[in-house]
Amino acid sequence: MRLGMVIDLKRCVGCQACTVACKAENGTSPGIMYTKVLDQVSGTYPNVRKQFVPVLCNHCRNAPCERVCPTGATHKREDGIVLVDHDKCIGCRACYVACPYNNRIFLKRGKLKEGYYGKKMTPYERAKYPEHQDGIVEKCKFCSHRIDEGLTETSCVQTCPADARIFGNLDDPESKVSRLIRSRGGRQALCEDDTDPSVYYLD
Amino acid sequence: MKQSEMVAQKDYWAKSACKMCIHSCAIRAHVVDGVVVKIEGDPDNPSNRGKLCPKGQAGIHRLYDPHRVKTPLRRTNPEKGIGVDPKWEPISWDEALDTVAEKLKAIREDDPRKLLPAINDFHRIHIWGWGAAFGTPHYFSTVGQYCGAAYHPLNGILDGSFAAINDYNHCKYWIQIGAGDGFSSHLHVAASIKRMADARVERGMKLVVVEPRMSAGAAKADEWLPVRPGTDRAFVLGMVYVLLHEQNVYDAGFMRKHTNGIYLVAPDGNLFRNAETAKPMVWDSAGNTAREYDTEGLNLEDVALEGVYTIEGVEYRPAFQEVKDSLKDHTPERMAEICSIPAETIRRIATEFGEAACIDSTIKINGKEYPYRPAAVNFYRGAIGHFDGGLDSAAMKLINLVIGNIDVPGGHIGVGLDHRLLILKEGKDGMIEPQPHLLHPAYEFAEKPYSYQLMEWYPIGIDPGHLIAENVLNPEKYGFDFQPEALIIEHSNPMWNLSATNKVIEVFKKLKFIVAIDIVLNESTDWADIVLPDLSYLESHLLVCIEPPMVTGHVYRRPVIEPLYDGRDATDILTELAKRIGFLPEWNGLLNFTMFLSEENHLDPDTPYSSLELTDRMAKSIYGQDKGLEWFQEHGHTTRDQTPEEMYLPYAKLGQRIPLYFNFIKEVGDDMAEKMKTAGVEWDTSAYLPVPVWRDHHPLHNTPPEYDLYAFAFKEAQANFSESTTLPWIDEVVSCQPMHLGVMINSKTARNKGIKTGDILKIESPFGEITGRATVGEEVHPECIAISNTISRWSQHPVGKKQRSTHFNKLLPADVKWTCGMTGHLETTARVKLSVISE
Repeated sequence: MRLGMVIDLKRCVGCQACTVACKAENGTSPGIMYTKVLDQVSGTYPNVRKQFVPVLCNHCRNAPCERVCPTGATHKREDGIVLVDHDKCIGCRACYVACPYNNRIFLKRGKLKEGYYGKKMTPYERAKYPEHQDGIVEKCKFCSHRIDEGLTETSCVQTCPADARIFGNLDDPESKVSRLIRSRGGRQALCEDDTDPSVYYLD
Repeated sequence: MKQSEMVAQKDYWAKSACKMCIHSCAIRAHVVDGVVVKIEGDPDNPSNRGKLCPKGQAGIHRLYDPHRVKTPLRRTNPEKGIGVDPKWEPISWDEALDTVAEKLKAIREDDPRKLLPAINDFHRIHIWGWGAAFGTPHYFSTVGQYCGAAYHPLNGILDGSFAAINDYNHCKYWIQIGAGDGFSSHLHVAASIKRMADARVERGMKLVVVEPRMSAGAAKADEWLPVRPGTDRAFVLGMVYVLLHEQNVYDAGFMRKHTNGIYLVAPDGNLFRNAETAKPMVWDSAGNTAREYDTEGLNLEDVALEGVYTIEGVEYRPAFQEVKDSLKDHTPERMAEICSIPAETIRRIATEFGEAACIDSTIKINGKEYPYRPAAVNFYRGAIGHFDGGLDSAAMKLINLVIGNIDVPGGHIGVGLDHRLLILKEGKDGMIEPQPHLLHPAYEFAEKPYSYQLMEWYPIGIDPGHLIAENVLNPEKYGFDFQPEALIIEHSNPMWNLSATNKVIEVFKKLKFIVAIDIVLNESTDWADIVLPDLSYLESHLLVCIEPPMVTGHVYRRPVIEPLYDGRDATDILTELAKRIGFLPEWNGLLNFTMFLSEENHLDPDTPYSSLELTDRMAKSIYGQDKGLEWFQEHGHTTRDQTPEEMYLPYAKLGQRIPLYFNFIKEVGDDMAEKMKTAGVEWDTSAYLPVPVWRDHHPLHNTPPEYDLYAFAFKEAQANFSESTTLPWIDEVVSCQPMHLGVMINSKTARNKGIKTGDILKIESPFGEITGRATVGEEVHPECIAISNTISRWSQHPVGKKQRSTHFNKLLPADVKWTCGMTGHLETTARVKLSVISE
């Protein structure tokens, strides 16, 4: 079992519902986004191309972040989800440097003392912030808490109005993600490091 | 589940309806220990299928916004103005309601017209008429400027619809002009994005987007055609010319069977009628004579669509010929000069469009055969929000009519305002009855106007609220012999939404008393004397409509938690005020009408009803006595797919035709011209044309050349107008998107003017000036600047508060000269000049 995501760039309309759904699901602090959609513009008027490119942790099979972690805080589950163990992370930020995709975020000490409206937190923030720990590194968890509850989709996939994000088992050749990767020629965000990301893009 | 049982649980999902834009997708909220921790789309609703846009996701922040109005507030600082702290003081409901009722009662007894209402909550159209029940005819706010004073009436005139959309399920060639459908806005965007993505990606539909800015839709389109603002009609009429005059491509069968294209038109532009029966005449080529259109045994194949026929020395031509002749000089070359899209492009797109229409082909759906026209032009406010917007709208309808795609599979489908679907009634001349006014009944004409927005002089329009400031400040012009004294606002922000802001400020200064009902404070409530807290959508009950075309039905909005503060439902507040002021019978009478209450559910005139009770009665009236509030608390919604019978050819079922030739518009215009002549008022009725043509006298395009650029405002899926900017998650998202950071200007234009990204610009129109930060790029027409709504606010709310407010509306005019003579739509593009203030 290797959980992965396919992102259909043809379907994505850049609405950012995923970005906000992720914030709502995970209750992340101000300025922290586990996922976002980049607006990429190329060409010169009138021959302009604008593409919306959602980005998130690639949950690499061969994850540089996991390799460099000195405490074993960053680890890979059997289903392929790469997670950070709050108790083991010492905030050294080696993973932050090692991630070629810039998808790791360091939560500064004291960051959880303030919400979006300052020190006085909203009831929602009071409910969600205890799920986090400051002084450590955070990132997209492929909504492992939802998967553990038996749900089949991450929050961003659940909300995507365009159905541009699809979640499933990359090891199952009959899963929707596998079939899409084959039929549409899914490509990974490759880099010098042989990371083998679990996030595929369809052009 | 009963409300009390539901909220007593420790961990539950509550189904409800969103209100983070003017539509209302079905949602479910996850509540743990009394706190809403997540909002998702309701997976059981066939419209949005569990999906939700970023605004809907961010609803948690609206609910828990610490800056919500928590109790009734009284202003203690008598000084009012922009940036002036009202010094709010909490007061009790009784004191607040007493104060408001006393002030408004005195006004009502003196002259009710002295109250200006600004009640424009789209989810609660049933309360819009509170002012009318009070006795005042004004609307000191605007909706028409944002949706389409020039859009909705033309839909209603064409096929009894309120809006329109192309058939997502069957269209194969979609031209989108100035609209966000399927990408960013309009008609339940969380649902339509999926439909559009399926059409584009699964069915390979070709998408052409015509817009001066590269919107999300243009980014996803097969072709983006940047157009000069306010000239979309020229592009479309150029296409009509190619189809009719160069290629002879049109749906003759459709025109003969379903439109008035066969009715003979006299030289004066009126229908040629039988002298005795007054029935419209058609030309029977077989008998070589004119006959009444409904002559028994008349073979439609023999009825002329083209030609000129002389009867007793007078030349008559079929309406289709009249349309064709009216456009004989609208060549792509001439239209290209106007709209800046090259003639060869207009010609190519028209050719592709004509071919894609598959004229004469049919499709079987559920065993029934329908015409199949999988090509259509969809349009909205960007295309029609202009001087002559009525003609813009009519032109967009015309291109669709030419290929016979109105309300047929693949084509341009009418969308009803609510569960009643299209309002189709037998009209005169074998035509459906035109429905230009679905939002409220038409205002009766008066020689001396009684509404500040001059609604009585725009018989096909939607309240041009932008005219109010001008008329309040210059009452002598049309003879207003009273001045406004008070304003009541409900979920509306006239200070922000009306144009010519400086004039609006002058009106606010004149008002002796302002009361506002809202959730959070805004630019308008800053001027209020009393603010009354409404309940947020997650704390209140309502039955809200999921609009057609693909689906229909209601979603039940229920409180997902107990109200957080001492708020009251706006409907309850207005009922209480009606009671205290003394017009409860009028108010209840209005609610009977606006909530569709059946006779057995009619309200007793002297009893105040709670919002809860009203919701129950409305549900029973629409769905039967067994489907009241309890049923909805159990089942959540009545949303269902529309049937093909409901969607396709509904007018034909009634045996009625739709207009190809808009003689109704001409007749209304002729009538207005006559009335205004008698009244002695100088009034331009030249826009009431039966055939949309290009008119060169457009004031926007004749602005002095020193104003060398066009400026317009825009929004994307992240923002509902500008109100979403107080939501931290939305603020954070838009702060990462270059298009929402400043004034978009084309790189070539910027280079010529020596402007760089980050420069602070002074932007001047003939009507006002603003400042803004330049964002240089490729995504905008070189003759334009584009300004996101997200940088327009100046409210005191701390979230999204920018260093400067780049409020586009200050650049706009707000007078009759700049208003569409047919529909009352304001010109919403400005001409501007730029200068760099600082680098």
